[in-house]
Formats: sequence, C-alpha cells, structure tokens
Amino acid sequence: MDTRGPDGALTFSADEEHVLLRLLDVIVPPDGDRGLPGAGALGLTTSIARTVQQTPMVRPVVEYGLSTLADLARKTQPAGFAGLSAQEAKEVWEEFAATDQFFLPAFLFLVYSSYYQHPRVVEALGLEARAPHPRGHAMEESDWTLLDPVRDRAAMARARRQ
Amino acid sequence: METTADVLIIGAGASGAALAWSLAETRMNIVCLEQGEWIDPAQLPGTSTDWEVRQLGDFNFSPNTRQRREDYPVNDSESPIAVSMFNAVGGSTILYAAHFPRFRPTDFRVRSLDGVADDWPIDYARLEPYYDVNAHMMGVSGLAGDPAYPPKQVPLPPLPLGKLGTTLAKGFNRLGWHWWPSDSAIATREHEGRAACVNAGTCLVGCPQGAKASTDITYWPPAIRRGVTLKTRCRVREITVGENGMASGVVYYDAEGIERRQKAEVVVVACNGIGTPRLLLNSRSKQFPDGLANRSGLVGRNLMFHPYAMVTGLFDEPLEGYKGPTGCCIMSQEFYASDPSRGFARGYSFEILRGFGPVYTALWAMSKGQLPWGAGHHQTFADFFDRTAGMVVISEDLPDPANCVTLDPDMKDSDGIPSPKINYRLSENSITMLEHSVARATEVLEASGAKRTITESPLRVAGWHLMGTARMGTDPETSVVNAWGRCHDVRNLFIVDGSIFVTAAAVNPTNTIQALALYIADTMKKNLANLFDD
Repeated sequence: MDTRGPDGALTFSADEEHVLLRLLDVIVPPDGDRGLPGAGALGLTTSIARTVQQTPMVRPVVEYGLSTLADLARKTQPAGFAGLSAQEAKEVWEEFAATDQFFLPAFLFLVYSSYYQHPRVVEALGLEARAPHPRGHAMEESDWTLLDPVRDRAAMARARRQ
Repeated sequence: METTADVLIIGAGASGAALAWSLAETRMNIVCLEQGEWIDPAQLPGTSTDWEVRQLGDFNFSPNTRQRREDYPVNDSESPIAVSMFNAVGGSTILYAAHFPRFRPTDFRVRSLDGVADDWPIDYARLEPYYDVNAHMMGVSGLAGDPAYPPKQVPLPPLPLGKLGTTLAKGFNRLGWHWWPSDSAIATREHEGRAACVNAGTCLVGCPQGAKASTDITYWPPAIRRGVTLKTRCRVREITVGENGMASGVVYYDAEGIERRQKAEVVVVACNGIGTPRLLLNSRSKQFPDGLANRSGLVGRNLMFHPYAMVTGLFDEPLEGYKGPTGCCIMSQEFYASDPSRGFARGYSFEILRGFGPVYTALWAMSKGQLPWGAGHHQTFADFFDRTAGMVVISEDLPDPANCVTLDPDMKDSDGIPSPKINYRLSENSITMLEHSVARATEVLEASGAKRTITESPLRVAGWHLMGTARMGTDPETSVVNAWGRCHDVRNLFIVDGSIFVTAAAVNPTNTIQALALYIADTMKKNLANLFDD
C-alpha cells in the first residue's frame, strides 16, 4: 500500500488489487434472489483503502495478508491472483483462512464495512441510500395504553400498603 | 498580564457546564479550561453515509481507539470493563445515549436500608429541585407517573416506542413486570432553540440535529452569554498550591503545547471519575506528597462502573430498530430493590436498546461468530438485520477501595502528562447479580417473541459511567469532599463530577452528576462570604 496523489489517499498496489478483486466475491458472493450484488462488483477497493487509512492499526495486518496471499497464488499460477480462476482463488483463500488468525477478522471488517454502506446494497435491503441526517425516520404513534397494567399494579400495591 | 480568575473550572463536560451556568449569575470572573475543542455539528458522522464505520474510528467510545490529540490514553488492561469517555466541549455528553433517569430516593440510603456501602450525606429531597432545573435546561422527555419514582417534572413528551419498543413492552406485560418509557435528554419537540428529534438513530456518534442534549448546546451558550470565559485546547497538568495550603491555580498546556499558568481564587475540578483523580494524583507538592486533597488516601479509590450485560434477542419479524434514538426506548426497574432471596445486595435496571444499521449488524454478528463469509452469508445476514432487539442490564456496583485509579508509570499523553491506570475486578455480588439479570433478560425477550438470544456479560465496552474516586462524606478520614463538594483538605478546591458519588445506584449517572453540580454551585453562591470557613 502507498499514499499517492495530491490528497495523500492510500491506494493498493497492482498485486494487492488483484488479490482483493478476486477475493471480494468469495467473501460476499452475489445473491440474485435478494437483488444483492457480490462485493466484487461494487468497486470497493477505494472504500476499503479509505477505511484502512482511517484505522491505521489494521494496515500492517492487511499488508501482511495480501502479500502472503499473493505468494500463495504464485505457487499455483506464476501470474499470481490475476491468473487464477474463481475456483482457484477460492481454494487459495480457504487454505490461507484455515490457519490465519489476524488477517481474516481485519479483512472481513473492511469488506463488510464497505459493502454494507454501498448505495446498491443499502437499497437492496429496503432502506434509502442516504445519510441519517437531516431527514431521519418517521415512526408510528405509540400506544400508551400498554402502560395500563403497570399503572394498575402500582395502584394495587399502594392499596395494599394502606 | 496574568489575571486571577475568581473561579477556575477544569473540564467543560456535563458537570463543568452546569456549574459554570449556575455561577455565572454572580458576575464573577469565571474561566473554564477544556482540553478538547468545540464539535461542529455539520461534521458529525450522522451527516454522512459512513457514520456507522466512524463509530469504530474517530468517534469511538474509547480514547485508546480514537487517539485524538485531545485524548489521553487510559491503561485499562487490568479491568474487565474498558473506559469510555469523550474529550470536547460537552465532554462525554457528545457521545452518550442521553438516557436520563434520576436516582431513586433509596439510592442515597444504601447502608441504612441494606447494610452495604455507605449512605450519602445528602438525600433525594436535597437534589430534587436541581433535578427539576436540569430537566428544563437539558430538555428531558418522558412520561409522568412512573410508579418507580416519586412524582417528578418531565417537560417534554416521551420518545416513540416504535415497533421494537412495543414488542418488548408487550413481553414485559406478559410477565407482569414493571416498564416505563425512558426519561431521555432528547427534545421531542422544539425546546429552547433546539430542534426536535428526527429518530435518525445516530445518538452515539453525536446529534447533528441538536435534539440530544449535549452541554455544548444546552448550558454553554447561556453561560458564555452571561460572561463565562471558555478556553479550549487547554490541558491542565496540575493544580498548584500556595504556602497556605490553598489551591493557587493551575499549570496547563495550550493548543501549541506551550506551558502556561492560570491563577484562581477557587478551583473546581469537573473531569469525572477517571480524569479527576488523575489530575489530583498528578498534583503533588510538599504539602500533598501523595496527591492533592488526598490525606485520606481515598483519591482514586472506590472506582465504580456499572457492570453491564447485554442480551440480544433475534426475532422472526422486522422490528424497524434502526429508527429512533439508539439507547433510549423503555426501562424496567422490576429488579431494582434488594431482595435477599436472590443472593445479592441491591439490584439492577433493564434498558431496551434499538437495533443496528446494516454495517453494525454485519460487524456485530461477525464478532459473535455468527456471520459466515461465502455461501450462507446473505441468509444469515437476513436473519439478523432489523430482527434484533437488545437490552442492557445496568447493575449497581458497590464501592471497593481495591478498585482504583492510579498513575501509570510509563504511559503518558501527548503533553507528557502521566496517564491513569485502572485496577478493577468484578465483585462476587456483581457476578451473581449479572447472572440473575441475564436469566431474567432472556425470559422477557422470549416472552416478547425472540426465537433465540445472544449474551455478552460483562459487556467490556461499557465503561461509560465513572464514579466514586473522590467520594463525598462528612468525615475527612473516609471521604475526599464534604456534603457540598468542597475538599476536606483544601478549602478552595471543589469537585463536582461523578467522582464524588458515594454509591452508584443502577441507573445512568449524568442527570445526578448535573443535579449535584447545580446543588454545589447554589451552595457556593449562598456561602460566598464565608466559602472557606468551617
């Protein structure tokens, strides 16, 4: 990973991008029945890089994981992740995930955080893709007669004390 | 030229703001030093779509995670409960849920009633008028008539139950248990220039609407209009003492890290249950080699959190839990009073929470080992999203001198000031109480229709309530401040925050912290002519 450009934004190397793009759909595959896209179709690498930049403590773990995965992929395919089929990428990931303790939770955190705030996903879940403020949410009127049993019990307790 | 403040307040959070506002009518020269900054509502996370992620980063509860310049690290590795706080104008009220119950009258008489801990030197009746003032200033919403309390003022109508609250209320009714809409410091209609809540659900990362009562928008604007000077980015290193043993002022670092001094006739500490003992212990002198106002040895001791448990129910139906104020819905005090048959002293409250947004749902389910990646991911997510209802238990913590705040020998903040270290363990009483509460929470969630529950006990992140580390009392041997917040050892030094609590009750403390600050301010005003006398 490196900081490039005038805004100093963190970006992934080409190797890291290949790993990410292959893995995103492995982690969150598409679900046509629910109208949910796979994570790989959403261009999440920029969003993931931004989250890494906002959470500096995960950066070394992410860099370690992505380079280890790239090395594993090269054992199967000299071109690395870019040359793997979807099934081969899944197998490399499963081999790595079976023994890893640190990268997996950090990576899932990054993928889920980016995926579940993407407008297409939010709308597929039945919500409006917008910030909570300023519009907020309308809520139904409350039925305060639900409190009648509480009031009745309190009245009975008072009567018992008198 | 260096001027001398009549009153110097350290900390612009819940208590410092209330005290400043109350004292301002005296037209004294009042200065407040705050290590944080003003928070711009337009920059709060709720105005952007990444608001849930920012709760895990720059708006996290933990200063150790946020690592803002104005934060100081806290060594809480020796505690099952992690410390939460926020440093800014408004302090932790910027991020709190604004759940705003009062203490109950019995909470001030724990020793007399149950033979544990100690009684307070003041009672509910003494604080009641200040609770009323605070209700107006903070804009408390709720519903009068809660049988768990004496009659009390609730200026604004209650927050909506929503589908989630209605579901849980019916569960409580099925069991015949007490519940009531929560008293909340959230405006449900326009109040004193604040807009009404729009149920956006972002309370825990600040309220851009201004409906939630943080003191930067409640007490501070009128206090400043009345002439109080509030200086931000000023971190106090120590309180200085004159040859006469009285506080003479403070040494602090300004925004550029330059060491400065502020003299004062009266010093008021308002840094809450961790920051206050840290400052006093860092203020060593010839007269006070063990820390300022610490001849009793009790500064930093008797730290009380509220040990929390969280029990989350999973339901078949959508609950619209992402709508409405996150932490404020309904409360139950069915198990609040002591009952010897339960095997523990004192009791606990239940507070019903709203649900999570999509990001937090995924991350929470993942952290509980419930959400798989790959095949099955979407089905499991669908089982969780908008189908959870959480309830937390707030259990009463009893004071124990072994639970304490000391100074860490190695850890320091960005100005080189030693950090606090927390040594805390759950008592057997708390452990037994949490077990009881989890079983009862599970029972009511199932009565409400939950198909299964997930429990976290104790809830590590729940170190929101910081109390007891400079307790009040009448005996200088067993307390740090007197019945109106004045230090026994230093008669021009006052403490007005949660550290002066004698016991913790089983409700959120902010309302009581502020009522105490208003009461102390009022007592100071009444005694201005002889403030330092016996």
